[in-house]
Amino acid sequence: MLRRLVAATALGSAIALLFVSTTTAQTNYKVPRLADGHPDFQGFWNNTTYTPLERPKGIDREFFTREEVVEQMKRAAVDEAEQTTPGTVADVHYDFTQFGLDRSQAPLSVNLRTSLIVDPPDGHFPPMTDEGKRLNAARAEARKRAGAITDAAQNQPLSVRCILMDRDGPPMLAGAYNNNYQIVQAPDTVMILVEMLHSPRIIPTNGRPALPASIRQIEGNSRGRWDGDTLVIETTNFTDMFMFAFQGASADMKLTERFTRVSDDTLTYRFTVNDPKVWTRPWTAEVPWKKGVGPIFEHACHEGNYSLTNLLRGAREDEKRAREKKPASN
Amino acid sequence: MKHWVGRACIVAVSAIAVLSLAAPPAYGQARPYRAPRTADGKPNLSGVYQAISEAYWDIEPHSAAPGQVRELGASNAVPGGLGITDGPLPYKPEALAKKRENFAKRITLDPEIKCYLPGTPRGMYMPYPFQIIQTPAYIMIVSSYARAVRTIYMTDQKEAPADSWMGWSNGHWEGETLVIDTTGFNDQSWFDRAGNFHSDQLHVVERITAADADHLSYEATIEDPQTFTRPWKIALPIYRRVEKNAQLLEFNCVPFVEDLIYGSLRKPSSN
Amino acid sequence: MRTTFAVIVALGAWLMAAPLLAHHAFSSEFDIGKPLKLRGTLTKWEMINPHSWFHIDVKGEDGTVVPWLIEGGSPNQLIRLGVTKKNLPIGAEFIIEGYQARDGTNKAVGRNFTLADGRSFLLGGSAPGAAGSDK
Repeated sequence: MLRRLVAATALGSAIALLFVSTTTAQTNYKVPRLADGHPDFQGFWNNTTYTPLERPKGIDREFFTREEVVEQMKRAAVDEAEQTTPGTVADVHYDFTQFGLDRSQAPLSVNLRTSLIVDPPDGHFPPMTDEGKRLNAARAEARKRAGAITDAAQNQPLSVRCILMDRDGPPMLAGAYNNNYQIVQAPDTVMILVEMLHSPRIIPTNGRPALPASIRQIEGNSRGRWDGDTLVIETTNFTDMFMFAFQGASADMKLTERFTRVSDDTLTYRFTVNDPKVWTRPWTAEVPWKKGVGPIFEHACHEGNYSLTNLLRGAREDEKRAREKKPASN
Repeated sequence: MKHWVGRACIVAVSAIAVLSLAAPPAYGQARPYRAPRTADGKPNLSGVYQAISEAYWDIEPHSAAPGQVRELGASNAVPGGLGITDGPLPYKPEALAKKRENFAKRITLDPEIKCYLPGTPRGMYMPYPFQIIQTPAYIMIVSSYARAVRTIYMTDQKEAPADSWMGWSNGHWEGETLVIDTTGFNDQSWFDRAGNFHSDQLHVVERITAADADHLSYEATIEDPQTFTRPWKIALPIYRRVEKNAQLLEFNCVPFVEDLIYGSLRKPSSN
Repeated sequence: MRTTFAVIVALGAWLMAAPLLAHHAFSSEFDIGKPLKLRGTLTKWEMINPHSWFHIDVKGEDGTVVPWLIEGGSPNQLIRLGVTKKNLPIGAEFIIEGYQARDGTNKAVGRNFTLADGRSFLLGGSAPGAAGSDK
C-alpha cells in the first residue's frame, strides 16, 4: 500500500525535471487575484533546493546550463536513494528515502543559478566589517566557554532544541526536508505557516507600525505591503540569538523579503539582508518556491523531542563509563 | 377589506415568533448580531481576541487557594473563579482518581509548565491573546502562547490522519455561528492548571458567534467516552483586543524551560 | 565536458555535507558500535515530530516478549502521501536493522525497516523489488 505511493513520488520527481521552470517570469502570466485585487499566493509551497547559498569554490559562472543541472539532480536522486554504508557515522540514522524525506522526493524547481546569493554578483557574502568580526568572534568564544555540544541542551543548535529552524528564519531557507509552507491571505493579513516548528508568521498588510526597538523577537517583527504584484515584507527587531545568529548577523539586521508569483507553480522569493554593523553592504539571495501539496501536519517538535533527552543522557552515560574505567585518582 | 390586514398581522406575528425562536448567543444583545461580512459572504471573525476568565486555573467553580511556589507568593496564588462548566465534570470513577492525582502532582505534570502546546479548548481561554485569520478555505487560529496553531479546514475536510496536540479541525457555518468539529487528539494536554484531563478519544465541538462588534460567544461540547460518563459543555465570552495595533507578540517559551526539562542532564561542573 | 564533470563533483560534495549535522546528533544518541537486527511485530507507530517512534514487540528465544522503541523519520511526508494511523500494518512482522541507544535501553534507530516477507515497508529501501532499488 505504501509502495504503490512510491511510484507516484518517483513520477512526480521525473515530471519536475521535464517541466523546467526557471526563475524568470513568464511575461504572459496572469496572476490569479483575490477580491481586493491583490495577487493570490495562497496554497502549499515548497522551497527545497540543491543550490547552495554561496557559490561553490571553483565556480565563477552565475548560471549552470540546463543539461548540467538536470544531470546533477538525476545523480543526486540516485545517491539519495542508495542506503548509507553500515558502520559509518552517516549510517547511524533512519533512511530519509524510506520516509519520503530526500530532496529528490520533494517538489523541486530546476534552478540554474550557481548560488542563491545574487548580489554581490560573485555569489558570495560581502566582506564583514570589523565590528561584525568582533561580534562573531565573541559568539565563537561564548560557544567555546559553554563546553562541548553534548554538555548541555543549550549548547546544541537551535534546530535540535526545537527553537528555530532554517525554514523559519526569517529569511526562510530550506533544510533537508519538510520544507513546506502554507500561505493564507485575509484582507489585512498574510499568514505563512512554516511546517517545521509550526511557525506562524503573521504579517499585517495594513500599515501597522513596527514594534519599539526595545521589543526583540527571535523571528523579528514583520510588516507587509504590496508593491504592484509583489508582496514586500520588512522585518526588524531581531534578538541576538543566543550565540547562534543567522550567518553572523546582528540583532539590528533589517530583512526585506519579496514574493512574486511568476507562474501557477512558482513563487519567486527574494530577500535582502541589510546589516551595516556586520556587512559592508547589503546582500540579496533568490530562491524559487515550487507549488507543493498539503496538508501540513502539526510539527510539535519540542513536545516530541525525546532525541535531545536521549543524546544528553547518552553523553552522561559515556562519561560515567569512562570515569568508572579510570583507576581511582585524586 | 380586513383580509390583507389579517394576513399582515399573521405575517408579523410569525416574524416575531421566528425572531424569538432564533436562540440569542449566550452573551451580548438579545437580538442576534449580524457581523460584517467577508468577501465570500461569511461573518467576519478575523481579529485579535483574549478570554478574561479564571478558567485557565480551573474550569470548574473554585475558591481562591495558595500557589505552589512559595517564593512567588500571591503572584502564583489561585484566584477564585465562577467556572465555565455546566456542572461538576462527569468523570468516570477511575478518571476522577487520575484527575486528583494530576492535581496533587500538577507542578511536575502540567504540560503548560513545560511550554507544551495547550490543546483544545484550553488554548482558547489561556490568559494570552490569540488571532483568527479567516479565509474561505482555511480559518487559522493562532495563539501567542507556545505559538500554537489550529488549522480549521472549511472545505477540504478529512479525518485526522494522526494524533496531535491541537487536534484536527473541520469547520462549517451555521448562520452566524462557526462550528468547529475537532478529533484526532493525543492524550497529553489538559483542560486547565487543575489537572482536568482527557484521553485520545476526545471530541470537541465548538460554536463561535460574534455577539457584538467586540465580543465572541464561545461554547464547546466535550465528549470523551473513555474519561467521562457523558458529554459536557463549557461557555464563556471572549473579548476583542481593541487597543490600537493589537497584535500577537512572540511567546516562544521553549528557551525558558530548557533548564527545567534538561537541567538534570547537564554535564556536572559545566557552566 | 570536463568543466561540467568538475561542476557536478563540486556540487555533489556540498550536497553530501549538508545532512551531516543531523547525523552528528544521532551518533551521540545511538551507538555506532552496537549495530543490531531485530525481528518483531508492530504494535504502534507514534506519528510525531521531530522523529517518529515505532513500537515493536520482539520475541526472545525463550519466548518472552520485549518491547522495543525504534526511532524513525518525521511522518509528515508520508501523511501527505496518504498514510494515516488507521491504514498502518499494525500486527505485521518487521525486521529492523539499526543501532542501539547509547544509554543501553531497548531503544534503537532504524536504518532499515522491512516487512518480514522481504517487501519494503516504507518507501524505497534496499529490499529486492522495492521501488528505487533499480534506479
